[in-house]
Amino acid sequence: MHSGTGTPAVLTQDPVVIVGAGHSGVAVAAGLRARGWKGGILLIDAEQELPYERPPLSKELLKDGASDDSAVLRKQKFYADKGIERLAGVAAESIDRDGRAVLLSDGTRQVYHRLVIATGSRARPLTVPGAGLPGVRSLRTRADALELKRLLVPGTRVAIIGAGYIGLEVAAAAAAKGCEVTVLEFQDRVMSRVTSAPVSRHFEQLHGRHGVRFVFGAAVTSIDGVKRAEGVTVADGTAFPADVVLAGIGVLPNQELAADAGLECRDGILVDGDGRTTDPAIYASGDVTRFTSPIDGASQRLECIQNALAQADSVAAHITGQAAAEPEVPWFWTVQHGVRLQTAGVRHPEDQVIVRGEPAGGKFSVVYLRDGSLAAVDTIANLTDFRTAKRLIAQGARIDPVLAEDPAIPLAEAISGTPNHPDADLAAARS
Amino acid sequence: MSNNKLTVVDREGTTHDLEWEPDQSMMEALRDNDLPVLASCGGTASCATCHVFLEQEVFDTLEDRSEDELELLVEAEGYRECGSRLSCQVGFSRDLNGVTVTLAPEE
Repeated sequence: MHSGTGTPAVLTQDPVVIVGAGHSGVAVAAGLRARGWKGGILLIDAEQELPYERPPLSKELLKDGASDDSAVLRKQKFYADKGIERLAGVAAESIDRDGRAVLLSDGTRQVYHRLVIATGSRARPLTVPGAGLPGVRSLRTRADALELKRLLVPGTRVAIIGAGYIGLEVAAAAAAKGCEVTVLEFQDRVMSRVTSAPVSRHFEQLHGRHGVRFVFGAAVTSIDGVKRAEGVTVADGTAFPADVVLAGIGVLPNQELAADAGLECRDGILVDGDGRTTDPAIYASGDVTRFTSPIDGASQRLECIQNALAQADSVAAHITGQAAAEPEVPWFWTVQHGVRLQTAGVRHPEDQVIVRGEPAGGKFSVVYLRDGSLAAVDTIANLTDFRTAKRLIAQGARIDPVLAEDPAIPLAEAISGTPNHPDADLAAARS
Repeated sequence: MSNNKLTVVDREGTTHDLEWEPDQSMMEALRDNDLPVLASCGGTASCATCHVFLEQEVFDTLEDRSEDELELLVEAEGYRECGSRLSCQVGFSRDLNGVTVTLAPEE
């Protein structure tokens, strides 16, 4: 516990103050120590409990019989052992850039040598009438997950708005618990933002076999109910009765702290490859950032653990004056009804789509080519292709679509014959 | 329960002796003792950055690898059919007291 104003609780010199204790914030703190940082490290954590893993919140934690104790990122002892001071239950309210200090909700002021904003993202709120009724939930924190878990009892009618990762993971958990699940999606297929139609179809069928009902083209116009949510109405007037409504309609970056301080933001705090904002003493890391992909030059805001950790490492490297690791191809995963979809790279809707293997067999990959080069891969219960594809994406490898279509040919041998490529002869020999 | 001793050979060939605590997976014991194990998936057998080699007689005492773990490992650098494990999938057990593990090469 610290007290007083104007006196940093960390008495060591050069404190790095990290705002946010999600995957990225904690990884910056750990990374600074691993890279030999001798100054103070102060982690400002808006939540009380020890920083925790987020992926299980929409998966394992919701299962019947699962412990409410979610996995922590690091044990309590780790913070003490590493000289990382954590202020729990405290939010950062504003930044005094001239004074190099951050003002906290407990009234204190923390001077920083370097500031790292790792405030993450929040669930995009529903804005239709009735969205504020009890029974309308979103899922972002452990508290959200535990509340949802309590509500998902057998026979409960659950309406899920949005067929993205969160919506579908909750749909699977709810169906497994004997709930009656309806997913309302504005687009014409599930996960349309992140994957291609063959993968969408596969997961729609999987959910269908578990009793989940989908309504596509559904524009939600209101949440109905008097004292609590009783249903959802869509644009054509159809009403879907529900006891619980979950909105899984994406996230918004928690960029206000930065924007209010005059740092450049555009749906995310703008950072460079070292995680620096437009103020050289201030960095940002994780879901809250927008940056130019070192892989394909696209402006992007990524919502994934991989990016949270990779940017944290870049920030820790830059603060300590060391070289960062090579840029990593971003990757993502979701598990629904026990089936893992794991993706490397960021697909574009106009990419050439090649299905590798037979979806009906339950195990296949989809390869995405952009101008002949491997840009992304989806693996469905098929991690064999994952690492190879991730490596080939990083290399910008050119892929022969005919070879890639044959799951019996390892992806590394589906490279098009370019004279300088070491695998070219092998690929040529097979064609 | 008391801690296990764990001997780790890092990628430079240097040996480290660590304490492995009962509530840690092998990956967590490595990571929390500052060994260069990225563990970017948080221990869910998704990324294979915690790949280690076990001695075969130790490997043989463990339960079989899951399909996910095996699929990631076979494509990993230096995969050993009777030795490669994702350390996040190796739980604490008294039987593993005093074993030696070797960090697999980075990709």
